[in-house]
Amino acid sequence: MTSAQETMTSRERVLAALNGDPVDRTPVVNPTSIATVELMDMVDAPFPDANREPELMARLAECGHTELGFDSVMPVFSIIQDSSALGCKIQWEQKDNWPTVKMTEPIYDSADDIEYDIEALLAHPDTQCVTEAIRILRDRLGDDVAVIGKTMGPWSLAYHTFGVEPFLLLSLDDPEKTKEVLQRLKRITIDFGVMQVEAGADALTLPDHATGDLVSGEYYHRYLEELHQEFAEAIPAPLILHICGRTVDRMPYIANTGMAAFHYDSKNDPAESMEAVGGRIRLVGNVNNPETLFARGPEEVRAEVIQNLEAGVQMVGPECACPLQTPLENLRAIPETVREWHAIQESE
Amino acid sequence: MTELNEVTNEFIRGEIDEFVERPEERERMISMFAACRPDMLDIGAALIEGEDGVVDELTRAQLDAGTEALEVMDDGLIAGMALVGIKFRENFIFVPEVLACARAMKAGMAHIEPILSDAGIEPVGKVVMGTVKGDLHDIGKNLCIMMLRGAGFEVIDLGVDTSPDDFIDAVEEHRPLVMGMSALLTTTMPNMGKTIDAFVDADLREAVKIMVGGAPVTPEFAEDMGADGYGKDAMECVAIAKQLVGVGSGA
Repeated sequence: MTSAQETMTSRERVLAALNGDPVDRTPVVNPTSIATVELMDMVDAPFPDANREPELMARLAECGHTELGFDSVMPVFSIIQDSSALGCKIQWEQKDNWPTVKMTEPIYDSADDIEYDIEALLAHPDTQCVTEAIRILRDRLGDDVAVIGKTMGPWSLAYHTFGVEPFLLLSLDDPEKTKEVLQRLKRITIDFGVMQVEAGADALTLPDHATGDLVSGEYYHRYLEELHQEFAEAIPAPLILHICGRTVDRMPYIANTGMAAFHYDSKNDPAESMEAVGGRIRLVGNVNNPETLFARGPEEVRAEVIQNLEAGVQMVGPECACPLQTPLENLRAIPETVREWHAIQESE
Repeated sequence: MTELNEVTNEFIRGEIDEFVERPEERERMISMFAACRPDMLDIGAALIEGEDGVVDELTRAQLDAGTEALEVMDDGLIAGMALVGIKFRENFIFVPEVLACARAMKAGMAHIEPILSDAGIEPVGKVVMGTVKGDLHDIGKNLCIMMLRGAGFEVIDLGVDTSPDDFIDAVEEHRPLVMGMSALLTTTMPNMGKTIDAFVDADLREAVKIMVGGAPVTPEFAEDMGADGYGKDAMECVAIAKQLVGVGSGA
């Protein structure tokens, strides 16, 4: 199967798709992470060091384009860099496991506890590592490949700093205090995001885990919709909101935020999701990680990629950070299928 | 067939009417609550509303007045939680509301557990529970443990970030009938399979029934890994545990 004629660079393709402009083919994007143990070994950039040393972080991220053929690279593999800088205890783990915030040892009990020096936070080695890795990638990849950064939203930061259970109970017991928590944390989202854009990031993923597995769509509307609108205005780059789980019930609200795209989970049907957002925000996704990319083969990956393409999803990629043992042939099947599908469309 | 108006508590009648849609389940709820005394329904209603202070007060008052601890637990707390489970499953409520109900149940159980323990009531079975290696999320596991204990199981909680070796050590030490593993992240789900493989390698797979759950886990994934049971939520976890130990599900 020959590929369709490609007239854009990967970076042009991603930026055009994020902007809602025409593209030569659907971009293959990784807004979260496609780092695997195999790639770590290939370029000698293992976890946990690849989360803490800029050169290793950049080298592992670059594989997303050079080894797998994605149109973007994402150096922020985890969701803990800003929380680490904020003072959360981190379990850094080993090569075959993800670093995680120790949420059972929260650093805040109430909104009044939230105090941080934003300059110190942005100068912390774990946030600086990200901006330095972005600079390295920008320098190495030039204008050919889209470099995506990541800044955590205040809802996720609240999970990390209060613990998930205490924060969810607070959200029910005291909505005003909950809003105060989010207001006090939002500067981290904005300033860390702006710092990455200034370092050369083309776009940012903004994970804010108000997932349908935990809270209602109404919660998203009540607590986050306006804040996300504020982020879209304050951060001078296209934003890709990431929320795991079933999210169709909140997609109409998400579509109001002015963000460029929503990175959605395989629990949501592509066609139903496209209908829910009504063309007001682009979708990225949603190849299943644990059952398809990790445990099945390229044929099953192809089927899910095609389902997204046929639904008109604007950017295709894994639904979330993929398991570290994901076979590379399955990840490579994503861009291969996109090219084949477009070639068929063109020939018809 | 028992009629809805035979449930004497107006709030619970309203809850059944509004939230319990499946006919057989509606019939079961009506019949269950109609058989409960009004004082027990008050406890159940407070639990459904997530009022831990009220549940604490009413439970203590009932026990002081001589009501059997098992009646308060079954007809007040567990009956209330059964309705909460249905509302959660049908997406009428979400985790924050369930956590508030769980907090209320815990407030009641704090009075009941010592009485049951002193009375030497034999547990339905023993369960070892933990969140898998690399995963520090424990809300789902904690809800399951609370419901299992409420249903009469003895539960050994291994906490979060539990390695395959820790699961094996716990099974060898406690000899449970059932082991439960939870994962919230798609990135840590494969560690469930690794843990099951470790049991096979250690020649212990036949020693314990293994059930799994967690937001991203599906029945297909559970089957592929070789788990014996999968529960979508805490209510199903109890039903599966009962099946695995060979008692009626009752859920």
